[in-house]
Amino acid sequence: MKNVRIWFKKDFECRYISHLDLNRTMLRALHKSKIPIWHTEGFNPHPFATFPLPLSLGFRGVNECMDVRLEDENFSFEEIKNRLNACLPRGLRVFDVTEAIMKAGKIAYASFTMLLSLPDKSSRLVCEQLGALLQNDTIEIKKKSKKGIKTVDIKPGIKSAAVTELFDCAKLDVVLSAGSSDNVNPNLIIAALTRATGCEYEADVTRNELYNSDMEPFR
Amino acid sequence: MVSKKVEKLLLKVQKPGRYVGGELNEVIKNKHDTEVRFAFCFPDTYEVGMSHLGMKILYSQFNSVPYIWCERVFAPWVDMEEEMVKNHIPLYALESGDPLSDFDFIGFTLQYELSYTNMLNMLKLGNVPVTTEARGNELKHIVVAGGPCACNPEPIADFVDLFFIGEGEEVDLEVMELFRQCKKEGTDKREFLRRCAQIEGVYVPSLYEVTYHEDGTIKSFLPKDGAPAVVHKRLMLDMDKSYYPDNFVVPMVEIVHDRAVQEIFRGCIRGCRFCQAGFIYRPVREKSPDTINAQCRALCENTGYDEVSLSSLSSSDYSQIVPLLEKLTEWSGEEKVSLSLPSLRVDGFTDEIMNKIKTVRKSGLTFAPEAGSQRMRDVINKNVQHDELMQTCATAFAGGWTTVKLYFMIGLPTETMDDVAAIAQLGQDVVDTYYHTPNHAKGKSVRVTVSASSFVPKPFTPFQWEPQDTIKQLHEKQEHIKKSITTKKVQFNYHDADTSFLEAVFARGDRKLCRVMALACERGFHFDGWNDCFSLEKWMALFEECGIDPAFYANRRRSFDEILPWDYIDYGVEKRFLQKECQKAYENTTTPHCRLKCSGCGAAKYGRGVCFEKRQNMV
Repeated sequence: MKNVRIWFKKDFECRYISHLDLNRTMLRALHKSKIPIWHTEGFNPHPFATFPLPLSLGFRGVNECMDVRLEDENFSFEEIKNRLNACLPRGLRVFDVTEAIMKAGKIAYASFTMLLSLPDKSSRLVCEQLGALLQNDTIEIKKKSKKGIKTVDIKPGIKSAAVTELFDCAKLDVVLSAGSSDNVNPNLIIAALTRATGCEYEADVTRNELYNSDMEPFR
Repeated sequence: MVSKKVEKLLLKVQKPGRYVGGELNEVIKNKHDTEVRFAFCFPDTYEVGMSHLGMKILYSQFNSVPYIWCERVFAPWVDMEEEMVKNHIPLYALESGDPLSDFDFIGFTLQYELSYTNMLNMLKLGNVPVTTEARGNELKHIVVAGGPCACNPEPIADFVDLFFIGEGEEVDLEVMELFRQCKKEGTDKREFLRRCAQIEGVYVPSLYEVTYHEDGTIKSFLPKDGAPAVVHKRLMLDMDKSYYPDNFVVPMVEIVHDRAVQEIFRGCIRGCRFCQAGFIYRPVREKSPDTINAQCRALCENTGYDEVSLSSLSSSDYSQIVPLLEKLTEWSGEEKVSLSLPSLRVDGFTDEIMNKIKTVRKSGLTFAPEAGSQRMRDVINKNVQHDELMQTCATAFAGGWTTVKLYFMIGLPTETMDDVAAIAQLGQDVVDTYYHTPNHAKGKSVRVTVSASSFVPKPFTPFQWEPQDTIKQLHEKQEHIKKSITTKKVQFNYHDADTSFLEAVFARGDRKLCRVMALACERGFHFDGWNDCFSLEKWMALFEECGIDPAFYANRRRSFDEILPWDYIDYGVEKRFLQKECQKAYENTTTPHCRLKCSGCGAAKYGRGVCFEKRQNMV
């Protein structure tokens, strides 16, 4: 038995499926591919796969990963990639298969590229709005929880941020806290911006890379 | 493939994965290389439509023809519809993203009367005029429809250019071929439709003239321009040679029936008198176990599904069910594929079948006794005895099951309040059976769910002349069951009587209802099959505005000599047989099923199927 990390991109139509849908689609592809991976042993055996860090619906992911347990340790990684790609919808593409070096719990940061625009407004304006927001000492948003609405400051969760003015949108490159404890979803930045300006933004968000607490790429 | 404009809306709506396509096994062609573009429209949501077997069969079959590109279109849910209208985005097909108005054919499958408004709404959202007349004479935008509701096309006759009567596998392709030819010749739409009417299984409503008596019943129904006086249904005679896909489009978002579906036979031997499917799909035609086995396996390999459902109107009536399950379980366990066997009859749930399906998955058990009292079950020809039901439940309880769902109907012809109370009693009897089964699950309580829907009289059944109970009567019966249940172990559910009433109006309606439909479309009616949208009050206002009394269609007893709106269609089962069955119902007399004795319904004229099987002495 060997733990294997399968790296893939989630884009095009598959941007619009939820994590649960992604899970089901991947399990079905694994089943169809007949790659010798470990199955659960309950009443309804199914391929066992875990995702180190789920991606929100609507985001593109260019460096996503999924862990499986390979039963045949000599099974080639190249074969896994080829077989899976033949079984996946075009919006999900496996580009690499590696051994799982770090544990999923080591994930501490994630980098994103966010393209923001306002219909009929210049990208300079959006850049200025973003700049103003990010300069604040605190960035508060209202978060719905079971105990009602609470106010959270997301500023400590923004490790770095850079704004670039593009022709038709503002580009925000951010590194945000990620993982099971202090996760900051890029949508929260958009929500904070909307709260500050009253504008409804069009957003195109891509998750680029995951990192550990030392900012080493997650592998 | 979705446009940039659509993408902007997707993050504002629920479950955007429904509107993007791009699934595994979706068929993409180059539109410039094809001659016929067919938009296969399902007048309900993606999750419902993608679960429908007929669409999967025809989608694959159309696309197996190089010159046709068939794409899928579903009704957008209300939030998406609102965004699309607001942003001027016409309804589009999932494969190409092209608007409905780009298509040669716009085809609908009609599974349910309450989806008619969705059909019109989809045309409207796709910028295609809703009536045949408004679409003009150019050879494009041909609106076609098929499916079980096409057995009475009259309430939507003004909107659909041609209907496919019966099974679509052959006739659809003949019409496509004729279209291709007409396009080459440069003929207009009227001439194309005139020629279509000569193809068996095609009904072109504009080629028929209807006149009415003063009381609103039909006086005459006459063909013109050489259209046939009787339209005969089409059917596949050899199921082993009939087209079946080896591949399904595999959705990414969860749909209602998210599994591979394998058809095992068409038709039903039983002849329950309320059941339209039991008559219009006659005669029973089976696939051989080898065909089913091979098709099942191919489907699982190509889709990655780990569950196959064996589909038919009554799976335990498949003549070789045990050999079939043996064949399937030879590989299914190893491949980690589970089998499910829906539509089991009360008298078909044997130990042997139970053990075969139990090896892979244990889900709830559902049976449909349909009526509570034995007399009532004889009236509807259900041919299920009280003792059989108890025996079956005991088998299930001994096998470890603790929940049973029972389906019933209320408002059946000749039904009394005692018959209604018997439904509650039957639930109680099942509870008692549980505690009398010595080896039932230890320390667990039993749960019996009793569901009652309201009877809707349908065309081509022995009850096609019967009045439906009024909504008030149905409410009284629902209350009566509620009062008669004395244990908490029986849970009672019932369907809304309002929707059943509207269903009854359209199921047996005539062309006069087209005006109501047109007005409903104008007013933006949609998703009437969904509680979120349905309002009987609004419908009643429409009927009033059109000067139409819906009770004329739903609650009136029709006489045997009345010309019924669907009389010109031939489904193989003769009207005199249906009349005889209706009389027998009044006498509480049952009719044996097709394998026991031929009752001479008329379907033997097709020369195949159960009518020509060797009859064994089986009970």
